[in-house]
Amino acid sequence: MLKGLGGITVGLPLLEEMAFSAAGTAAKDVPVRAFNVFFGLGIPAPLQKEGYEGVLEPLKPLREKLLIMRDVDQVRCDVSGINAHFDGATGSFTAMPAGGEAKAGGPSIDQVVRQAHHPDGLPPGMVPTLIGGTYFRRSRVGRYLHSYNQDGTVAGTMQEKPRDLFDRVFGAVDAGTGGDARKLRLKRSVLDSVVDQYKFYTGANSPLGSASKNRVAEHLERIREYELRAFEMKHRKDKGPKLPPRSELLHGGQADPGGQGIDITLEELTTEWHLMADLYALSVQMDRVRFGSITFLAAGERIRLVGDYDYDGRKIFEFNDPKQLNASGDQGCSHEWWHKFSEKKKNEQLRAHAHMKMREVAYFLNRLDSEKEANGRSILENSMITISTESGDGRHNDSKRELSGVFHAITGANGRFKTGEIMDVGAEGIDVYNTMVGAMGAKHRLGPAKRDRQHISSILA
Amino acid sequence: MSMPSRGIAVGRSGLGVLWLGLVVLMTCLPLHAAERVNEGLLALYDFRLAKGELVKDRSGVGQALDLKIENLKNVRRSEGGLEVRAQTLIRSVKPASKVSNAVRRSGEITLEAWVRPANKKQEGPARIVTISGNSTNRNITLGQEGDHYDARFRTTETSSNGLPSIAGKSGSLNLKLTHVVYTRNKAGQAKLYLNGKLNSSKSVGGRTGKWDASYRLGLANEMTKGRPWLGAIHLVAIYGRDLSASEVLRNFQAGLDGESVRVELAAKQRTEKEKFFDEEIVPILSRHCLECHDTATRKGKLDLSKKARAFALSNGDKAIIPGKSAESLIWEVVESDDMPDEREPLTVEEKRLLRKWIDDGAVWTTEEIDPLAHTFDRRATENWVRRLTVSEYIRSVKSVVGVNIENEARELLPADIRADGFSNTAYNLKVDLKHIEAYSTLASLIVEKMDVRAFIDRYNKRLNLTDNSMRGFISNMGRDFLRGDLNSSEVAAFRGITTTVTGTGGTLEEGVGLMLEAMLQSPRFIYRVENQKGDGDVWPVSEYELATRLSFIIWGAAPDKKLLELAESGDLYAPEVMDEQIDRMLADPRALRRSLEFANEWLNLNRLANMSPNAKRYPGWSRELANDMKAESLAFFEEVIWKQNRPMAHLLNADVTFATPRLAKHYDLSPAKGEGLARYDLSGVPERGGLLTQGSVLTIGGDEASMVTRGLFVLHDLLRSGVKDPPPCVDTTPVPTKPGLTQRSIAEDRVANKSCGGCHGKFEPLAYGLEMFDGIGSFHKKDEHGNALREDGEILFPGSAKPVPYKTSAELMDLLTASDRVGQCLTWKVAQFALGRPLGQPDALALDKIHQAAQKGGGTYASVIRAIVKSDLVQKIQTESDNEE
Repeated sequence: MLKGLGGITVGLPLLEEMAFSAAGTAAKDVPVRAFNVFFGLGIPAPLQKEGYEGVLEPLKPLREKLLIMRDVDQVRCDVSGINAHFDGATGSFTAMPAGGEAKAGGPSIDQVVRQAHHPDGLPPGMVPTLIGGTYFRRSRVGRYLHSYNQDGTVAGTMQEKPRDLFDRVFGAVDAGTGGDARKLRLKRSVLDSVVDQYKFYTGANSPLGSASKNRVAEHLERIREYELRAFEMKHRKDKGPKLPPRSELLHGGQADPGGQGIDITLEELTTEWHLMADLYALSVQMDRVRFGSITFLAAGERIRLVGDYDYDGRKIFEFNDPKQLNASGDQGCSHEWWHKFSEKKKNEQLRAHAHMKMREVAYFLNRLDSEKEANGRSILENSMITISTESGDGRHNDSKRELSGVFHAITGANGRFKTGEIMDVGAEGIDVYNTMVGAMGAKHRLGPAKRDRQHISSILA
Repeated sequence: MSMPSRGIAVGRSGLGVLWLGLVVLMTCLPLHAAERVNEGLLALYDFRLAKGELVKDRSGVGQALDLKIENLKNVRRSEGGLEVRAQTLIRSVKPASKVSNAVRRSGEITLEAWVRPANKKQEGPARIVTISGNSTNRNITLGQEGDHYDARFRTTETSSNGLPSIAGKSGSLNLKLTHVVYTRNKAGQAKLYLNGKLNSSKSVGGRTGKWDASYRLGLANEMTKGRPWLGAIHLVAIYGRDLSASEVLRNFQAGLDGESVRVELAAKQRTEKEKFFDEEIVPILSRHCLECHDTATRKGKLDLSKKARAFALSNGDKAIIPGKSAESLIWEVVESDDMPDEREPLTVEEKRLLRKWIDDGAVWTTEEIDPLAHTFDRRATENWVRRLTVSEYIRSVKSVVGVNIENEARELLPADIRADGFSNTAYNLKVDLKHIEAYSTLASLIVEKMDVRAFIDRYNKRLNLTDNSMRGFISNMGRDFLRGDLNSSEVAAFRGITTTVTGTGGTLEEGVGLMLEAMLQSPRFIYRVENQKGDGDVWPVSEYELATRLSFIIWGAAPDKKLLELAESGDLYAPEVMDEQIDRMLADPRALRRSLEFANEWLNLNRLANMSPNAKRYPGWSRELANDMKAESLAFFEEVIWKQNRPMAHLLNADVTFATPRLAKHYDLSPAKGEGLARYDLSGVPERGGLLTQGSVLTIGGDEASMVTRGLFVLHDLLRSGVKDPPPCVDTTPVPTKPGLTQRSIAEDRVANKSCGGCHGKFEPLAYGLEMFDGIGSFHKKDEHGNALREDGEILFPGSAKPVPYKTSAELMDLLTASDRVGQCLTWKVAQFALGRPLGQPDALALDKIHQAAQKGGGTYASVIRAIVKSDLVQKIQTESDNEE
């Protein structure tokens, strides 16, 4: 019914004004980028000890470009009475206990870096923060969204369908003028008055407090983006990425039926994830996005996965969670393997799931490693990409152990961090993160101001 | 009269002229100086500074309203007094809005002054204290008319000059230091007291809605000069209520003692200590102590959850000695890390805070500490400008232009995401590019659907595109559209759009249409913009803000014309007008719709549409059945809350429900005739009755009908309580049922387990009474293995020491219904939805009051809403000072 009324137009072409020029980077300079890659349920710390010979095997081809950090503790993120799926997930990339169901206890590291390098906003045409992912569990926002503003609120809207992500990055906007110059002028007049009002409420005489002012400032930023896409950018229809196919998976509330989990095949899961990862990577390659986060399965994800899992030409496992668990509903989900983890057992189902997750994380990383930039390094090597998860042990019977040894891996960030190692860091996540954002040129530090900070120089190149 | 027990600061400077006042004062004050009254204080001047041009407001209330002396050489200052020797004006540096706004709302005032007139001839009246604009426009003035005092107070029944005034008795003014007090209550009774005794009284009827908040406070002259008063002033105080005769006498007896004036400062310090307790200590006690030292557990016979018991062990030993941490047992065991037992010790910072609290007097506020207090966001009360939710947007559009935009808005606007139990949580109401585009598109669609000409005619049938005509129209219409007056620059901005239209040969209707599009995208339409700036203290909200808050809380929509008119006149502040409006709004169908929205959110009924229980186990489940369950709970809510007007707690045991034939069959009820929802009397169906026995709630336990999940729902969502993480090394893997092993017996094992029972005993027994309901709410006496099921159990109410047994599910429902804790929890839930933010410890006292007021009103939804909108949580706002940014 609303087709053609101005919703983000389906089949929209690439914007003509590519942001490469707007970025203003010198020929051999590369832009500062920071992305968080989250995967759900984690890798128990004892399995991390096996290095690339165990569940980390799919990351092995990228080992020279990664620093695997073991023994990183996130215990300070514990929120009493809530298990680590939520507090560990909200603490990933923020290192602080959650501030609410949809609020972190502080900013995420990608946003700290963004703020340091672009305090007045990204160049026109860029998406300030891109957040996407393939996930199903959604009882709390912190389970699946991993970019947070300084005040702990989400730094953007989660794009959970490939088409949504495509539209957010590449979509143009139909202002409803039909090319009529007079209509265009009048629409501009309306928008100008709207912009003026938002400017007033973000200005010195605004009656709003700081949190509210920031909120209205974000609104104004989105209006500017709308203005640019609706009135200032010409579009061309001959080039650019094709509109992705419509998603076949469940989304929204249907994807999380009362926390009871969904049935899904490995092929269904990976097909959509690959599309999401491809589009996200393309957005970065085209320099439309420099900051944000991507999620492969939520914290405490509940899926009943079936299908053959092959890697490197060999069959790793046959997923069939409900059958292997002999249960339906939430009790038949792969999530349960994490609860059943034991150092004394083989944990073959958990291993297979974790291995598969690493394969899919590697899929995304490889997309960013496909081409060299002006300095001879790939985007993967030039960016600060942090890969993490919610816990270092899936059993909910010791919150301290659950939030200890949380898997972390980072890329070199254009020579700032060591790579090619597996390191037992033995530090709090907050100190690791602060060392990282410091190396990226940010002055802001996570966590309480009074805290005695530890500089983790061992991770620096 | 005897000499006061404490000295007077004003005399210490040795100034002869003030000594005279001191001597006079000494002769008229009683032996025992009393403490001054603090409640309702708005502004206080004690003239403590002996030099300089500033007179400091020392009330500590709101933003300080300091005064500036225009001509210093015409006054003589001393420590505690100011003598006006020649004509001058001592005027506030900014409008006295904190006083005027408060009086507009309360309709009451007390203006108090210690003065010594220089002569008996000055008149006009000569202005002693005034809040006015000029010689003919004022809010209030206390003056001297020759040989008596005179007070003018503006109401809707006086002139703008506050006439007729109230005059003191002829000849009652003398040249001695005199305590002069003017009071006026909302019933219109005005009184003038001299030295604690009633001197004159008069009825000054009418409302105070026309008090002008832009007027300044002045001493010793009118704002425009020409009404000078000469003499000495030693104290001026203004209250936003009428002090009783005994309170006036108390202030008189307190005299001008510096000590007594400092009582206000002490009170402010106390407020800071209360804040420290709420924000710093409560989370520490909750996080580290209450697991073992709450009312139920009371390990070591110490209950740290209740004010009445926290300071001593039951054997009389002192656990906390205010002011003496070193002698306090609690500090001793915490400092040595002996406590918490088998848990993480307190951090260095937490210890420091705890010690400081004890040493500062161990001030304790709320009667009982919430066991979840440490999980509250300390920034819960932080102000987030509230974006309208999708449904609020739809209803607001309907309210201002009469257009139904529901289908289009729900299709174009991204859905609001649930956070902290509700999808109207302000901090999470963000915008993305899709919102911007949707607002723009919807604005065009709305205008397309409007009869713009008819809309224009509602305001001005002769409107044209000339400047004057348009500006008047924009101002009038803009007030309704944007929920308050427009300033000149806003009018000019909207006017600019019509000018552009004119320039392109457009019509009046086209111009107005585009202007409406701009208004529909304005931050003042899309957000609920309020003034959040101040001095960091709590301020009353403005009239329009109050009207808007009322409207969105009760209706979920923008205020209507009536509310806006009452806001404009200031009459909305009058308690009786407020009551009338609340009644009117609650009688409107929009209030019902809003309450159903609350019920839907509270019970998360939209979850039902997404459920997909195991088809083999539950072949009877269908999307239609899920819809029926949602419809049942909403119809039940409407029946109990609106049609029967019963207390909200009766939602737990009312023996009535509504079901389609499909749902009736699912419940083993004989289906009524017809296809839709039918009303069922459950008085003969003992197992059902109340929300907890409805499929919509029972399904939260999942396929396994988890007692843990159901019990936690009751604990969290009905008893407003919680538990901590499981202790280390407990196997948390759920155990499946089998022949001989029921959910109940598995749960009982957990409760009996030493490691688990401490917490599981607090919530699993709450679900014992629901064991006979399976994962989708069907009733069975045996499970799938043939095990007999039970419905008896016991319930341990938070804050109580002993569990209460129940034999049947119906008895459990009756116990919950009768529990004050459940009633309190329902109040909190409604309040959270009303305020659009999670609630925190700083809200606890206000919520206690709301709950008590609501219970007095019968505990109905209407009484809860009434108590909420009349509470400080709605009537006031926590401001943010500039230096906080």
